[in-house]
Amino acid sequence: MSSTEAGSPAQGIRVVIVDDHAIFRSGLKADLDPDIVVAGEAGTVEDAVAVIAAVRPDVVLLDVHLPGGLGGGGREVLAGSAPLLGSTRFLALSVSDAAEDVVSVIRAGARGYVTKTISGAEISDAVRRVAGGDAVFSPRLAGFVLDAFGTAPADIADDELDRLSARELEVMRLIARGYSYKEVAKELFISIKTVETHVSAVLRKLQLSSRHELTRWAAERRLL
Amino acid sequence: MTTAASRPPLVRGSDRVIAGVCAGLARHLGWPVRMVRLGMAVAALAGGAGVAFYAWLWIMVPTADESAKRNARQPASPIAPAVAPAGAEPADSWWSSVTGMRYGKEILLGAGLLLAAGILIARMLGVDVPLGTLIPVAAILGGAAIAWMQLDETRRAGLVDKTKADQAGGWARLAAGLALVVSGVLIMVSGSGSWEQTWLALLSSVAVLGGVALVLLPWGLKFWRDLETERAGRVRATERAEIAAHLHDSVLQTLALIQRRAGNETDVVRLARAQERELRGWLYRDPGKEAGQLSEGIKTAAAEVEDSLGHAVEVVTVGDCAMTERHEALVQAAREAMLNAARHGGGAVSVYLEVTDGAAEVFVKDRGPGFDLDAVPADRLGVRESIVGRMNRHGGTATINSTQDGTEVRLRLPLSAGAPAGAAATNSNGEARL
Repeated sequence: MSSTEAGSPAQGIRVVIVDDHAIFRSGLKADLDPDIVVAGEAGTVEDAVAVIAAVRPDVVLLDVHLPGGLGGGGREVLAGSAPLLGSTRFLALSVSDAAEDVVSVIRAGARGYVTKTISGAEISDAVRRVAGGDAVFSPRLAGFVLDAFGTAPADIADDELDRLSARELEVMRLIARGYSYKEVAKELFISIKTVETHVSAVLRKLQLSSRHELTRWAAERRLL
Repeated sequence: MTTAASRPPLVRGSDRVIAGVCAGLARHLGWPVRMVRLGMAVAALAGGAGVAFYAWLWIMVPTADESAKRNARQPASPIAPAVAPAGAEPADSWWSSVTGMRYGKEILLGAGLLLAAGILIARMLGVDVPLGTLIPVAAILGGAAIAWMQLDETRRAGLVDKTKADQAGGWARLAAGLALVVSGVLIMVSGSGSWEQTWLALLSSVAVLGGVALVLLPWGLKFWRDLETERAGRVRATERAEIAAHLHDSVLQTLALIQRRAGNETDVVRLARAQERELRGWLYRDPGKEAGQLSEGIKTAAAEVEDSLGHAVEVVTVGDCAMTERHEALVQAAREAMLNAARHGGGAVSVYLEVTDGAAEVFVKDRGPGFDLDAVPADRLGVRESIVGRMNRHGGTATINSTQDGTEVRLRLPLSAGAPAGAAATNSNGEARL
């Protein structure tokens, strides 16, 4: 994903970085593009909830594993900031690969999930995308989605929330294969905006569906 | 002492007549098992010395399984698979080679019947056999033997394993043994007394037992709870030791290496990447997932490429199936594609495996400048032979799509052999199908 294809033209996106490692916070701050302003930082669950409520940023870069609070980590921050979810978007950052971690923060309200090894340009792009109201799917998250929803397209009879449409499946497959949104759009002969619409629809299903795999993953992190 | 050193350990075996003592002893001493049994029987006649010796060995000598469990050490690291103690192997082959004692239970039963017949004949001949004492004694001994064998077996299977399938059978045997013993004792105590007396005796003994149980129950419960706590503590300690061993063998070693090679950036990245992968595999491995799956094969290949070229390879898998010989070809072709992508492409290499009911598909994508397939010299075996040729030979297809934004290799292998192999073709918009 190059920075030119970002979905939002917003100038000066204000972000809060929540991570318990100061080295990671400063490294991330240095990596972010100049149009992204770091308005606050926090290292624990309590600090994060307080800072987010005070700063009211556009985007929160949220580590999934955080000390403090009741031990719930990033999900607890999401729960504590629930009144702000309309204006503040959350992008989950983690070193964890476990489906339970990924799916549980998404279901708690995060708009995207990226791993910490992501490059500065990519994360800046992801921040702009989330600030613009879109969802950010890493290849691995797309893989989890395909695993949870199955790779067969939905029938009309199925519950709309529990299955992906044929087009959504195609988009998820391409993202899992490492395609950027632009490449997905080119491959499927659709606009980037349409790709974003499909991804947002998948995110909604991921958050609201009661499919067994999703509820199981969420339950394994005591989310339900 | 040279012979002693080569002797197999003294353990009780599974080919038991009663408790496997004689068989174990024979194996330990290198004597024929029949001789040992005969000797034991003769010794038993000599004032019960054999019986006492047998009982002592029964209590003191562990079974082969118990011994193996006791000797099994914790592996130094979970990477190194736990190795079975070497001593168990010859034991197994030896035990299985003994077939003569397969009918041990039948022989025991026959001996019992013969004994009964002998007693009957003796009675017919006018010899006074004290049946009134013999029958209850036999009942007590039989019941005790049944109950003890049960205890022995449950211990072998692990007393902790409460979900044992034949638990009901075990309880039934225990109850049968108990009933035999109780009735034997009753008959013996009450002699040839009337039923009324017997019932009275039964009632009073049950009352006494109930009183004793009432007094001892809290103690028993306390001991049981202590045992459970201790066991849980031991499990935790073992887990902790395993984690410590793992971190020591992997993470600490890597950190030490990184400190020594701090100047060499590529080495540091490679080390960190390999360690991350290893730790990730250990932390997030799915214990329900069996080994030898296709996704494992692809991940292993990606790890090899990462290690040899120091280039990040991200693997995403959806669905899975068991590895077959044809899947091996798919993995090899994918590995070749990853090697090419890591060598010539830029940025991270993305690998996606999807297994559906009909086929297994692998996509390998890089972000390099791309290359013109027709410009690849014919002697370059990498693409033509290792990827395309290999897939075609195994009934699959390989498609290579190269643009300025990167190259993607698509491998498709139908699950059933004999599907039509993809023919080489090139279409007009620069996408080459081989």
